[in-house]
Amino acid sequence: MRLQHYLGGLENLGPVNFFEKKVFMAEWEKRIFGIHTVMMAESAHLDKALPKYPLSQVPTTFKDTWTWASLRTGAESMQPFEYFKYRYYEKWLMGISQFFVDRGYVTAKELATLTDHYREHPDAPLPEHPNPALKEQVVRYLHHGDSGLREPVVPARFTVGETVYVADPEAADHTRLPGFLRNKKGAVAEVYQGAFEYFVSTGPDGLAGPQHVYCVSFHASDIWGADKSEPNTIIYADLFDAYLKPAH
Amino acid sequence: MSSLFEYDKNREAASAAKVRALEALLIKKGVLGSDSVDAVLSHFETVAGPFNGARIVARAWRDPEFKRRLLEDTPKAIAELQFPGMTGAEGEHMKAVANSESVHNLIICTLCSCYPWPVLGLPPYWYKDPVFRSRGVREPRAVLREFGVPISAEKEVKVWDSSAQIRWFVIPERPANSEHLNEEQLAALVTPEAMMGVALVPPPQVT
Repeated sequence: MRLQHYLGGLENLGPVNFFEKKVFMAEWEKRIFGIHTVMMAESAHLDKALPKYPLSQVPTTFKDTWTWASLRTGAESMQPFEYFKYRYYEKWLMGISQFFVDRGYVTAKELATLTDHYREHPDAPLPEHPNPALKEQVVRYLHHGDSGLREPVVPARFTVGETVYVADPEAADHTRLPGFLRNKKGAVAEVYQGAFEYFVSTGPDGLAGPQHVYCVSFHASDIWGADKSEPNTIIYADLFDAYLKPAH
Repeated sequence: MSSLFEYDKNREAASAAKVRALEALLIKKGVLGSDSVDAVLSHFETVAGPFNGARIVARAWRDPEFKRRLLEDTPKAIAELQFPGMTGAEGEHMKAVANSESVHNLIICTLCSCYPWPVLGLPPYWYKDPVFRSRGVREPRAVLREFGVPISAEKEVKVWDSSAQIRWFVIPERPANSEHLNEEQLAALVTPEAMMGVALVPPPQVT
């Protein structure tokens, strides 16, 4: 059981900090969000994306695949108490800078040295080196995205209205199965057209290749227990085929 | 465990310097251009944002046929409006759900922060905070009360956990006394929180 997969349902947390409507809690957070999004826009896997991206013509030294799965795998494999210690974009900054060090794009030493420099001179400028062709690719990616829609390889296993149970696969570094739904009973509300391929295989967790995705409805009482749940409440989740089992 | 609460005294300054150093090195090494990050940020000021969602909601309020099409095939109906980038990043597969007299909808991402970028932009901090992600599926009515939105027990609450390809958003109920407003005036009443299901749209102020 990995805590990051089981956030849904944790109790005794106190009020939601809903007065905090800002997207970025500090100006610097914008920059790491931007770096991550540029990495997704120039990720090596986009040469197989549905939109025809002219990736080989984009001038960049970035030669790796970087998707949401990269970021989420990092966050979900953190020691859980460390996970809760840091704010959302603090985790991004740690994960992304470590990635660039691990992959040899920058050394830990040069990052530390330059960090010291900017700490002493916060207003020192960034190098001025625009890259118009990369900028175009970033804009193209933001406009056209990276859909996982694929041709189904097998027919859908379940039909609308059918009772299903959620599987309980081995906990992996990354999953798209919310932990609170494991082993619970639901009903198929919609079978989405086509199949969907997730960015990566999640190994024993079960995502690999294109799969059907189902919108599954759960009565809150079937998840939390009749006497421990609010009345007249339905929870819907979109679940990949690997996460479902037939009722019989 | 003793190191758990050892934060850098200048935590924000340290992060700001580190991200600046990282961006500078990546520019120097050819991973980024000096205009790349700004291109991303500018997209969320001009192309993708809650201003799109608000106009879609306003159109749905004024045109029941459009609303029907929007609920039936969300991307196809949104395409009628010809906004740019509506099937772009984190909006490749969006679905709208509508509040009514008998149903109240709430969107959430318990695993991370999935959010329909083209129509709502980037999620506010509270949506990504572990407290909302934990409680929103366990006690949505209690959370909604805290947000100032009490829901009667007779009304069904539907919570949509974004765990695969679909990015959900909510068409809130049209407020009373808004019959005389045009689309632009209606759109001005619609907040991101209303399109996430944690706020209602108040009636227009009488002037």
